[in-house]
Amino acid sequence: MTSKTPIQLHINGHRHELEVEPRVTLLDALRDHLGLTGTKKGCDQGQCGACTVHIDGQRVLACLTLACQAEGRAVTSIEGLAQDDGTLHAVQAAFLEQDAFQCGYCTPGQIMSAVACIREGHAGSDDEIREYMAGNLCRCGAYPHIVAAVRQAALEVAS
Amino acid sequence: MTVHEIRTRQGDSKRGDASDGAVLAEAVGGRLSRVDGPAKITGAAKYAVEQQLEGLSHAVLVESTIAAGKVRSIDTAAAESAPGVLLVLTPDNVLRLNTATDWLGTPPPDAPYCPLARDITFSGQHVAAVVAESFEQAVAAAALVKVSYDETPAIVDLDDPKAGDGIPVDTMTKEWGDAQAAFATAPVRICAAYNTPREYQAPMEPHGLIARWQGDRLTVWEPSQWLDGMARTYAEWFGVPFENVRLVSPYIGGGFGSKAFAYGYGAVAAMAAKMLGRPVKLAVTRPQTFTAYGGRAATRQTVALGADAEGRIQSIVHRGVNETSVDGMWVEPLGSVTSIMYATPNFSSRQNVVRVNTVVPGALRAPGENPSAFGIESAIDELAYEVGIDPLEIRLRNYAEQDPEVKKPWSTRQLREAFAVGAAAFGWSKRLREPRSMRDGNQLIGWGVAAGTYPVRRAYGEAMVRILADGSVEVESSSIDMGQGTYTILAQTAAETLGVPAENVVVKLGDSRYARSGVTGGSRLAGVMTGAVHKAATAALDQLVGLAISDPNSPFHALQANTLVVANGRIRSPRGNGPEVSIAELLGSVGRSQIEAMGDTTPANWTAEDRYKNNTTIAMALPHTEGDYSRHSWCAHFIEARVDEDFGTVRVSRVVSALDSGRLYNPKLAESQWKGGIIMGIGQALLEEGVVDRRHGRIVNNNLADYLIATNADIPDIEVISVGIPDLHSSVLGGKGVGELGIVGVAPAIANAVFHATGKRVRDLPITLEKLI
Repeated sequence: MTSKTPIQLHINGHRHELEVEPRVTLLDALRDHLGLTGTKKGCDQGQCGACTVHIDGQRVLACLTLACQAEGRAVTSIEGLAQDDGTLHAVQAAFLEQDAFQCGYCTPGQIMSAVACIREGHAGSDDEIREYMAGNLCRCGAYPHIVAAVRQAALEVAS
Repeated sequence: MTVHEIRTRQGDSKRGDASDGAVLAEAVGGRLSRVDGPAKITGAAKYAVEQQLEGLSHAVLVESTIAAGKVRSIDTAAAESAPGVLLVLTPDNVLRLNTATDWLGTPPPDAPYCPLARDITFSGQHVAAVVAESFEQAVAAAALVKVSYDETPAIVDLDDPKAGDGIPVDTMTKEWGDAQAAFATAPVRICAAYNTPREYQAPMEPHGLIARWQGDRLTVWEPSQWLDGMARTYAEWFGVPFENVRLVSPYIGGGFGSKAFAYGYGAVAAMAAKMLGRPVKLAVTRPQTFTAYGGRAATRQTVALGADAEGRIQSIVHRGVNETSVDGMWVEPLGSVTSIMYATPNFSSRQNVVRVNTVVPGALRAPGENPSAFGIESAIDELAYEVGIDPLEIRLRNYAEQDPEVKKPWSTRQLREAFAVGAAAFGWSKRLREPRSMRDGNQLIGWGVAAGTYPVRRAYGEAMVRILADGSVEVESSSIDMGQGTYTILAQTAAETLGVPAENVVVKLGDSRYARSGVTGGSRLAGVMTGAVHKAATAALDQLVGLAISDPNSPFHALQANTLVVANGRIRSPRGNGPEVSIAELLGSVGRSQIEAMGDTTPANWTAEDRYKNNTTIAMALPHTEGDYSRHSWCAHFIEARVDEDFGTVRVSRVVSALDSGRLYNPKLAESQWKGGIIMGIGQALLEEGVVDRRHGRIVNNNLADYLIATNADIPDIEVISVGIPDLHSSVLGGKGVGELGIVGVAPAIANAVFHATGKRVRDLPITLEKLI
């Protein structure tokens, strides 16, 4: 359990080599080993959604995923969402415009979840957005603005 | 990366939308988008414990599994020999710390402070800590620490037969007239008990810190609502000068009252860092956040209202109780709304605190006002039905034209306007009066109203403003932004005062090396800091214009003007004659690299000690009733609830709230904060409850799957309407409090709606289905 294993992670289009114990979560690998702290730790037990990242395009909780489980798969975190020239993803821009966050701590997870929610085809109505975004808690209470941002971004993505 | 290193890549997003019409988005009062937004949506915003330091070690806490008794022994052998372990801390090998001054400024006893307990007073108390090379090693080793106890019976909560009636808190007593006699002779009398459970702040960012010593200087990266107050605590604990402690907290992932103080785990981490000579990170786990510091105390109130047959209140008799810990004191002021919301000739309010085996409770959004409003705003609704008049009408009939307690006029009170505007937007006039009279299929529909209020807590502030050689502006303050929008409104304030575009202003917060600041709490920061920045920016502008007029190398020197205009970053004469140059060009021509001005709103005769007290205690704050006025924010919530007749499930389906926070510095951000308070109030009304295991005195739902907070699927559209007017008795620029206000009155508005829907009055929160079927 405590001996380190070399692994390769593909994160945001870049290959990272690191040595971690098998018990290291993807969340801690991102935050503590690679310095990618945009992915947040809100509960470390799969309850809040703050650590949502994409693995092969699907939204997953990085705190319930071991780093070694992500080997050979494409991981996207909040840092990899904007284009290389800095152009924001439509969901990021909509979050800013709609003021869909306050403290900002749940925000990367919300945005990653929202991108997947739209891609899954679950942004068809406000009620559907509420339901499919319900796994990402926001204690500041930005929910109505998150719904507005996802609705706006879904329209932009569709066009 | 901090906010000043982030420049938005989308110029127009920084300007927000100017739907106020005349007000430019970036002026004070404009709807500028969050200037810290780009950092937060790209993941670039580094929160306190996300700093990457060389040689970082990781600490994990071990907590008591009993609620009362003594630690008999701690077996650390297995933990100490576990891989990677650097240190196992127990009460036997701690450094001796001093007890620190409390937040009120009370001098501490000359006694040592130990953050690890031998005498256990609540379940979840820190008894040991393990520090290891890696987080995983520390977690594993902490599980190997074996603690044995001599357990004694615990008082598990207010309902425990051993709890008793508690201790009277004389400072909470408020009396005028003869309330008991007037109640006894009133034509209409109602009396009921209202209860609220333990509730938790549950910010999305758990608490924690990184502590690093360099010689006798300590740096602490820790999410903080009060850098200077916490720096004082660390300094006193470790016996080092205040100036030797630096707190860094660039972003805070939510606080809601819970991040204003240094707690025991902070002492543990800083102690371990000192003992090991290397930085230590201690991340409080989500379950530990329920006991490492206190949430809102459970409360009990009885409210007796005596009224005439038309519902005019003649007497209010109010009694309150809140729990506190065995060895700490927390008073949740339960009579705070009761005593001011309605006019009454006779009033009596008293409060006790009851010691139970819990962590000492703490501040949670609108401490006092929140549960207080649940009592009085439920009770007046009951009175409305008792006398058969509309719940909105009874509130107007008892409208307090002045502060009934201190008999002073309100500075501003737009509550009548809030009732009118809110009712119109909600469609209150279409409400059928009788309970159970409105339905949609198997859903019973209820419409409820309740008012809320929060006092204007005023304090003094200071800020640094610099105009740099390139014409850009820096604002510095050790105050913080936990989502309220401090970065943004201070940029707007400096931009407007100096006449520069807001995108040229960089606001630096969250570092105790900056101009000192008092606590961010009680909705005071915006009023304090906009005033201070306005003052500092005015001083900087005076210097700039003075240079332009008087410096022989200035292009304006020959103009012999008395003053100059600075707008959009350019300087010209008021009449438009003579040159027009940019600020950068002027500074270049007079050979200045920058202009720097400190500004403060503190009294001129203050000493350094006064300033220290202002920034590290709340002793220098101004009472909201100081002088000629009583100052408060006000609101009215109109809420529709739908109750499934078969299952008793309650859903909030519509909210319209009209709020008076005075002048809004940025309506876009203020609306977000109001809605956030309302949403937290919906959770409080329907979901939130710390459940105590009565056998062990332990909070059993200490996680976010079992302690339910509102999710996106629980929240409908919410309409908020500002009815405030500038209140210059409350702050320099006319604002009153925003953040605490929104939650106050939401829970009673929902309880009132549920009564209207079902005919059942639920007087203890949360309103769960078993109470309705």
